[in-house]
Amino acid sequence: MVTAKRNPALVVIQLSGGNDAMNTVVPYTNGIYQDSRKAIGLVESEVIDINGTLGFHPSMGPIKQLWDKGNVAVINGIGYPVPNRSHFRSMDIWHTAESASIAPDGWLGRAIREIDPTHGNVITGINFGRGLPRSLHAKGVPVASVGNLGTYGLLPDIKDQQTRDMALDVFSRMYGPTDGTDAVLQAIGETGMGAYLGADILRTAPEMYSSSIEYEAEVEIAQSLRDISQVLQADLGTRVFYTLHGGYDTHAGELENHSKLWHELSTAVGDFFSDLDEHGRGDDAVVMIFSEFGRRIRDNGSGTDHGSGGAAFVIGNAVKGGFYGEYPSLELNAQVEGDMAFNNDFRSMYATLLDGWMGIDPHPILGDNYEQFDMFRR
Amino acid sequence: MTTASKTKTGHLSYNRTVGVAAMQGRGFYYPWAVSVAADGRYFVLGRGSDSDPRGTRYTVMDYDEKYYGTFGEFGTGEGQSLWNAGTAIDSQQRLYQSDEGLHRIIVRNLDGDLLNTWGEFGADEGQLNGPTGITFTANDELLIVDHQNGRIQKFTPEGEFIGSFGTPGSGDGQLNLPWGICVDSAGDIYVADWGNDRIAKFTGNGEFVANYGSSGRGEGEFDAPSSVAVDDNGYMYVADWANHRVQVLDSDGAFVDVHRGESTNSKWAQEFLDTNTEEKEARATANLEPDIEFNTDDLHEESAHIEKYFWGPTHLVFDNDGRLLVVDSNRHRLQVFDVG
Amino acid sequence: MTTTMTSEKALMAHLMRRAGFGASSEELDRLVEQGYDETVEQLLDVDRPNRMSDNLIRRYHSEYSGMMGNLSAGANWMYRMVSTDAPLREKLNLMWHGVYATGYSKLANGKVLHDQIRMFERHGMGSFKNLLIEISKDPAMLVWLDNVQNHNGAINENYGRELLELFSMGVGNYSEHDVKEAARAFTGWTIGNTEYMTMKCARDSVWPYGRLSFHFEFKADDHDDGEKEFLGHKGNFNGEDIVDIICQQPATADFLSRHIYSFFVADEAPVPEWPYKPPRDPAAIAALSNVYFESNYSIKAMLRFLFKSDFFKSEEARFQRIKGPAELVASVLRLTEEYGQPNISMNPTSQQAQFMGQWLLSPPSVEGWHWGTEWIDSGALVERVNFASERFGNIDSPGVRSVVDRILDNSDEDLPPDEVVDRALSELGITEISDNSREALIDFAKKQSEIATAEQTPRERVVNILKLVGATPEFQRA
Repeated sequence: MVTAKRNPALVVIQLSGGNDAMNTVVPYTNGIYQDSRKAIGLVESEVIDINGTLGFHPSMGPIKQLWDKGNVAVINGIGYPVPNRSHFRSMDIWHTAESASIAPDGWLGRAIREIDPTHGNVITGINFGRGLPRSLHAKGVPVASVGNLGTYGLLPDIKDQQTRDMALDVFSRMYGPTDGTDAVLQAIGETGMGAYLGADILRTAPEMYSSSIEYEAEVEIAQSLRDISQVLQADLGTRVFYTLHGGYDTHAGELENHSKLWHELSTAVGDFFSDLDEHGRGDDAVVMIFSEFGRRIRDNGSGTDHGSGGAAFVIGNAVKGGFYGEYPSLELNAQVEGDMAFNNDFRSMYATLLDGWMGIDPHPILGDNYEQFDMFRR
Repeated sequence: MTTASKTKTGHLSYNRTVGVAAMQGRGFYYPWAVSVAADGRYFVLGRGSDSDPRGTRYTVMDYDEKYYGTFGEFGTGEGQSLWNAGTAIDSQQRLYQSDEGLHRIIVRNLDGDLLNTWGEFGADEGQLNGPTGITFTANDELLIVDHQNGRIQKFTPEGEFIGSFGTPGSGDGQLNLPWGICVDSAGDIYVADWGNDRIAKFTGNGEFVANYGSSGRGEGEFDAPSSVAVDDNGYMYVADWANHRVQVLDSDGAFVDVHRGESTNSKWAQEFLDTNTEEKEARATANLEPDIEFNTDDLHEESAHIEKYFWGPTHLVFDNDGRLLVVDSNRHRLQVFDVG
Repeated sequence: MTTTMTSEKALMAHLMRRAGFGASSEELDRLVEQGYDETVEQLLDVDRPNRMSDNLIRRYHSEYSGMMGNLSAGANWMYRMVSTDAPLREKLNLMWHGVYATGYSKLANGKVLHDQIRMFERHGMGSFKNLLIEISKDPAMLVWLDNVQNHNGAINENYGRELLELFSMGVGNYSEHDVKEAARAFTGWTIGNTEYMTMKCARDSVWPYGRLSFHFEFKADDHDDGEKEFLGHKGNFNGEDIVDIICQQPATADFLSRHIYSFFVADEAPVPEWPYKPPRDPAAIAALSNVYFESNYSIKAMLRFLFKSDFFKSEEARFQRIKGPAELVASVLRLTEEYGQPNISMNPTSQQAQFMGQWLLSPPSVEGWHWGTEWIDSGALVERVNFASERFGNIDSPGVRSVVDRILDNSDEDLPPDEVVDRALSELGITEISDNSREALIDFAKKQSEIATAEQTPRERVVNILKLVGATPEFQRA
């Protein structure tokens, strides 16, 4: 077991589509909840009780186990002023940490710049998925986007290994140092070498990895978290990991769909921490789970429409488990256009993670001071 | 099967709208075609969106918008499909669907259980290249519009090849990317000849009878018709797809009636608005039939702005009570018409 | 540096890379025969058709017809880029989309963004004044920059500001007072059913029956008809008057000229640096500005002048641009000819541009994308290289098949390594290449023949070379 102090890593899981917070952390004894959720309400016999009034969705067994260890923080009623119920715009707001105007840079991109201002490590931040979410985007900040760790790299479709090695050799020659007379060619060359080396480094991660944990096959989020575990354990200096779990836009057929999603997600998160713990690395990572918005209090007969007021999770051995913030009132006079009001600004959670976990000054990243939670054990 | 009354004059009067947009579950996501079972239920086949597999499904419902569930999946595996195109029910109440992406036919029972998948890509006899409209003859022979091959093929319900007619082209008896098909009570076959802007009529044996209509926007003219249904009096009801309207011709091809659509809120639409009251209120203040000066002569634009109009009608068929169901694809609904 | 073509053909390849999405070697031969000036005129003809008709796209791709989302609206556009006989029109649309960058996030309606691009098709090569009026009336823009919230007596400055800063003059050429006065002049310029439409945007609603397209509406009772003072002029100005005054400004001529120069001749620094950094070629900007005024603001006249100018034709201008992602994708697909017919694979294909950093119809902000070397970070480069090399390596694509046929002269025997490399470069439009890259490719061709197994055909070996040509640094540039 390695005992040297490592730099803490943040694993962000984005639930795309707007997770129904009320059917995730369920106020199952609340009469308004029961009346509003005639078609898709969860009842006492179904939920996993937490404290006699709130319960986890029935599919969240593995997360409940982490909760029982005291490692799960639930941030209730998380959101921002003047809620936006468009997927893209609201996700933009979460990505850029800017709710009043349209900003091009992401908060994690800015964080990566703070961590590694000289870009000494091209894989300080890695997105698992194709294309870069705006949260990781910042001018001049290199971030790798890995669709599949097993096949990641340049020219992956050349199947014959000898030919591919030859082709990669050509690539490194073509993108090698130039005489410097053409500044653009030089810039392309440097980036090309960065890509070549980054792919080369990442390729070592699966080779070094072995685990007794079997992540669910053919479940994308499980495979992504396994990939993240591999890179984390390879000690490549990656500090920010990012991945998506999609399908939370449950306008219809919510009972079935939401169950499947939370089964996939909580099983994967449970496996991820078991994997890290098995390798003595459970203290090195914290997982943050968020979604762009919550959903309407009242169901529509088969699902729920876009709403506001969500729930976020911060999970890890270093986390002081429990509820942060009040569960929003469902009383009619407390509702915002038929939705739960927010009572925790999401940037407070960001500030807590940056400062309390990552050890970075949140102010330049978030552009303001936000009250922080007392969420970490150290 | 068509059981339209004998007293028709081929005139359309709007009855109601059924369905609502829904990526999954109750509702439609680009509905493409509909079959009506003997028990009166509507089996609405969804095309879905290429980027989102959830719409590739059947939604089962009835005229009163009672919802019976969904089945069908996007994919290339057994029983899965990519580009749903046509649907039909045989006398044994087996449900057929064509997939013009994978060039095959999927057969299920009305509960959605998979019974059979058949079809092979190619241009030889019995092979398919883009099967679209499908229908059954009175003898339970399956007619398939093999559209990229420019022909109609006839199969047994089990998928054995019986015969074919038509060749690609624009001459008499030729077809250019045909789409929909139907059979009248006399056994004659009608094809929506999409690329030639006309309806082609053939005998049950595939001999060419006549073409109806020509390119254009006027009465009796078509722009890329997608579907045709014929009643017992021989009136032809045509989904005039790129003109975004339904036209009726008499049995000689003379113009009878035309309709742009006049959709109203379905039950399911009303339920959505009742749950989302601020949207309902804003909608109540809006003029949904604005007077707009368009900067293009593409009728696609008019239908994109005026919600009650048909927007890309892909299929039409009679239900068991003689009502004409028009699949209003881009608007995710069926407009239902009585035929006077 | 090695040149792979005659100078005449190399110039034509340069023109087609810039005014279009590149051209096959075969097409270049035909165009050289036709003549340079004649080809320029052909490119300036915006009425030439797309081989893929709207009906054909809509019949197969339901969502490219209804366009509730932006992925489908972007893919619809990709079809047009790939199949058009008026490539300059679509190329220019890409430029305008970068300048008048309007994004899906706030609109939640792919169709209205598509409508904006179609507006560029109609006005993008006409009078700049008309274009500014049209973009000011464009429904997507009116929502995107909040002019729907710009009311008589309660102005919202957003559109007025960006009109001056990003759309016409650039910072430093107007005062805060001018911004406010411009905003006043645009009060009452809104969309019909404002409340319902913007609510559908904000709620991302497809209910009950899909999206509704927006239409421009002028609300006279919400228009501030009072006197305004704008850039030294006084009057009861409305939006058209503001545009008219803007168009008379030398700053506008220079700003537009610099955009056009950057997009068609050589990458300039990003717009925010313009006030502090002189243009690469001040004389070219001055000459373009001159044409702007002489032609009464005709964009077509500016482009005609540009393509026939020495500064464009010069060797110095060759490969001085980094291909934008959508441009790169379209140029590969035009060579491979894999979309002769609609195919369900268009969605993931068109999404490749997004993976490379340019999500069509979803720019990062109203500033658009930063171009030049900023297109290429390490993640984007991996995507670019892998995409081009994978597509050039697919022998089932008709375009690749005919490229291989031409390289091998329809024979079935290996060519000498330098010969096969030079032909492959020429076929894929790379007219000059560094000696370093060329030698690496030739070494690969040699080694490949040495280790070749009996099952591998000469055609497959050519395909491997094509894949590597798609991976060259040179291919990243236009």
